[in-house]
Amino acid sequence: MKRLDLSKLGQYVIVIIVAVTLNFALPRLMPGNPLALIAGVDVGLLTAEERAQIIEDVGLNEPILNQYADYWVSIATGDLGQSYRSGRPIKDIIAERLPWTLLLAGGALIISSFFGIILGAISAWRRGGKADVPLLTGMIALQSLPSFWLGMLLISVFAVNLGLLPSFGAISPAANYEGWEYFKDVLEHAILPIVTLSVLSTPGVYLTMRYSMLEVLGEDFIRTARAKGASERRVLFGHVTRNAIAPVVTFLAIRFAFSFGGAVIIETVFSYPGLGRLVFEAVSGRDFPVMQASFLVFTAAVLIANLIADLLYPILDPRTRAA
Amino acid sequence: MNKKRARAVILLLVLALIAAACSSGTTDTTSGDASPATTAAGGTTDPEPTETTAATTDEPVVVRAAVTGGEDTLNPYTYVSGFPGWNMLMLQYDSLMQFDVNGDPQPWLAESVETNDDLTVWTLTLAEGVMFSDGEQLTVDDVEFTFNYFTEKAAGRFARDLRGVESVTTDGDRTITITLDAPNPAFDLVALADIPIIPEHIWSEVTDPEEHQFDSVTNIGSGPYVLVDYVEDQSYRFEANPDYFRGAPAVDELVVVVFADDSGPLAAIRSNEIDVIFERISPEQIDLLDALDPIDISQGPEFTTQMINFDVTKAPFDDIAVRQAISKAVDRQDIVDTVFLGAATVGSPGWVHPEKAVYNPAVAAERDVAGANALLDEAGYTDSDGDGIREFSGGPMSFEMLTNSSDSLRLRIAELVAEMLAEIGIEVTVSSVETATWEEAVWPGFDIANGRNYQMAVWGWSAPVQANTIRVAELVDGNPDIGFLNLTGFSDPAVDAIAEALLTEADPAVSAQQIGELQVLIAEGVPFVLLAYPDGAYAYNSAVYDGWEFIAGQGIVSKLSLLDASARP
Repeated sequence: MKRLDLSKLGQYVIVIIVAVTLNFALPRLMPGNPLALIAGVDVGLLTAEERAQIIEDVGLNEPILNQYADYWVSIATGDLGQSYRSGRPIKDIIAERLPWTLLLAGGALIISSFFGIILGAISAWRRGGKADVPLLTGMIALQSLPSFWLGMLLISVFAVNLGLLPSFGAISPAANYEGWEYFKDVLEHAILPIVTLSVLSTPGVYLTMRYSMLEVLGEDFIRTARAKGASERRVLFGHVTRNAIAPVVTFLAIRFAFSFGGAVIIETVFSYPGLGRLVFEAVSGRDFPVMQASFLVFTAAVLIANLIADLLYPILDPRTRAA
Repeated sequence: MNKKRARAVILLLVLALIAAACSSGTTDTTSGDASPATTAAGGTTDPEPTETTAATTDEPVVVRAAVTGGEDTLNPYTYVSGFPGWNMLMLQYDSLMQFDVNGDPQPWLAESVETNDDLTVWTLTLAEGVMFSDGEQLTVDDVEFTFNYFTEKAAGRFARDLRGVESVTTDGDRTITITLDAPNPAFDLVALADIPIIPEHIWSEVTDPEEHQFDSVTNIGSGPYVLVDYVEDQSYRFEANPDYFRGAPAVDELVVVVFADDSGPLAAIRSNEIDVIFERISPEQIDLLDALDPIDISQGPEFTTQMINFDVTKAPFDDIAVRQAISKAVDRQDIVDTVFLGAATVGSPGWVHPEKAVYNPAVAAERDVAGANALLDEAGYTDSDGDGIREFSGGPMSFEMLTNSSDSLRLRIAELVAEMLAEIGIEVTVSSVETATWEEAVWPGFDIANGRNYQMAVWGWSAPVQANTIRVAELVDGNPDIGFLNLTGFSDPAVDAIAEALLTEADPAVSAQQIGELQVLIAEGVPFVLLAYPDGAYAYNSAVYDGWEFIAGQGIVSKLSLLDASARP
């Protein structure tokens, strides 16, 4: 692991500091006031003193630098504070929400990498062929679909018209299934959101794979392999795919992290109780602590994905290993 | 070999994800205590032919409702919205009086309500044999405790309801006497029919209700339903209270699903995943949904409002001629027809809804573009450079109109109004911003003492502001303590005088006359331009349950809808 040297570590530290600072600043730079959320109903009915009291209770009257310092302390101690909205510890809320988002993002990752890599390889292997042109056009078309629109379309077809799949939520409300029934219920509810996310991320994987393959196909060692008399099969799997996969893995890692962000829209369309929905509700109500904490999770996801890609790269591509 | 390692890592990751997802979720579903009713299996249910007489059939009646946005743990300190949050809260609790279908308060927990002549002393007799859902009896002490507790532990809306209460005393087992420091003719409407009575034996131990976290099983009230299950941002499950003092409710179980946006419920009611939408549906959905077979629409006038606000403290809106011209130039009927497809009542310039008994028909609006232009010409606002836009001291009469992006109807209103005002030489640029931003500009910090950061805005008030006509003082009074909802900064001593007199007028005849005069003054002074009162329209699956009762001004979300017809007031 020599590659992860000090300068790399320094980069990560800088990124973390900048990201955390932005996470803190963004909610406060937005116009809008968390008071309505904290005070709840009919906030306009409060007297000026009551309003001041609420602001004081949650520490929003403190100098901004103190709040900033407190935020760092909260990150360092792992105590992310309490939601303005529900008053519950944010740690608990995130622990409830994160698995759902991971399920969607993970499911989409598997499906989109499976189809993306295979179709990308087919396309590149027979570049300009019968499969390549329609695939390429189709993928570009898919990539340009707005996610909320695709989600609503799927709901309309599979839930409303065909009645095959549920249109909202992660589990049937108040059904209290257990065991196999619960598993089936979760799966049924996850299908449409996962399909939506997958359809949207497959083109990226496909295009990366195709491009990466084409690049490798032009390399000298492929010509050498063929000249040696290696079978086409062996060239494709032993040489081309093997060498083309590294950039795809990086792409997948990053894509996985970013699908957290994409989940905000998908989870809103499907009323899915994941982290994206949490962010949506927190931003609408200016729930500062929840916004900060969930942005932090997003930041961590991107950094971890980067780290994994950094670590995997030398394994996948020996040429990038440090001497 | 490396490839194998990579594969193993990915596989492990995926397995971990799935395992993690499966292990969550169940943790929240701590089922309620003592619940004899069986849970109906979710998923696709066969529509059962049930009327309000369903209580006699074997199958329990289960209704699945949809709301947009969560309401937290639904106790008096945690529920979020005035609608439908308060309405759902009141399924678990009772108030001393209860709205009937006309929106008038009727005796409920209080069997009788009497007042002295100047409306300062209210004497209530408590109904007998009312129990909280944990089996404890509801007594006059609970009522006294509730009033004191909400006052001491500032419970936003309920504390405000109780301002002006000087003392609460009990006499014997059933009599409660409430003394006010000034006459309040609307005390029954704003307080007695609004405040949930909470059990002393539970709340007396709670010193900090804002921070105290109630979970589902501690939401104890005397209401027709008990909240037995709550999963944040997902669902609520209410079970009927079989011992309810007005008789067991007609619906045995109510599941409320929390959606993230308002298109979700529309799809879910069509796919038969929910049975009723506890939110108003938009006008273009009314006919579409009504055309579907088991789906019916319950529609009626409501007291929410759509209006144009402007900053009356700044030129040129400080000039009454400009405000009057705007009020004359807008075509309210066109807005009702085009935006609401007819499902709204034309706005009265005098604020009061035409359905109300105290409405003054003399102030009805008529569009008069020529008159509006003449007003502006006379007041010296001319178009000197011939670009079609008049000028005032601060430059061209060109203004930004804010509207919130989450409400597409408001956006359409803004666009129509912009076209209408162009006809009188006022240019309006519509800016659609996110809700919190819009709120902060129009009502910074929810305190009018903070001023205003907008020129024009499309705005609206929730139903309670209109429901109690006396509250009009809050909207127009120049004194910020009284006119704390006076977002436009309007001030007129003549209006203030009547508005304040109205607040304490005990004689209904005098009060009605004052409201009539006030409407004329408001229509002339134009503190805001009222455009329309949108109808409430609610979609429900009539095959599952069709006992929905539309309360005038408030809609169908109330305990009345879920009780047997004979139990309704």
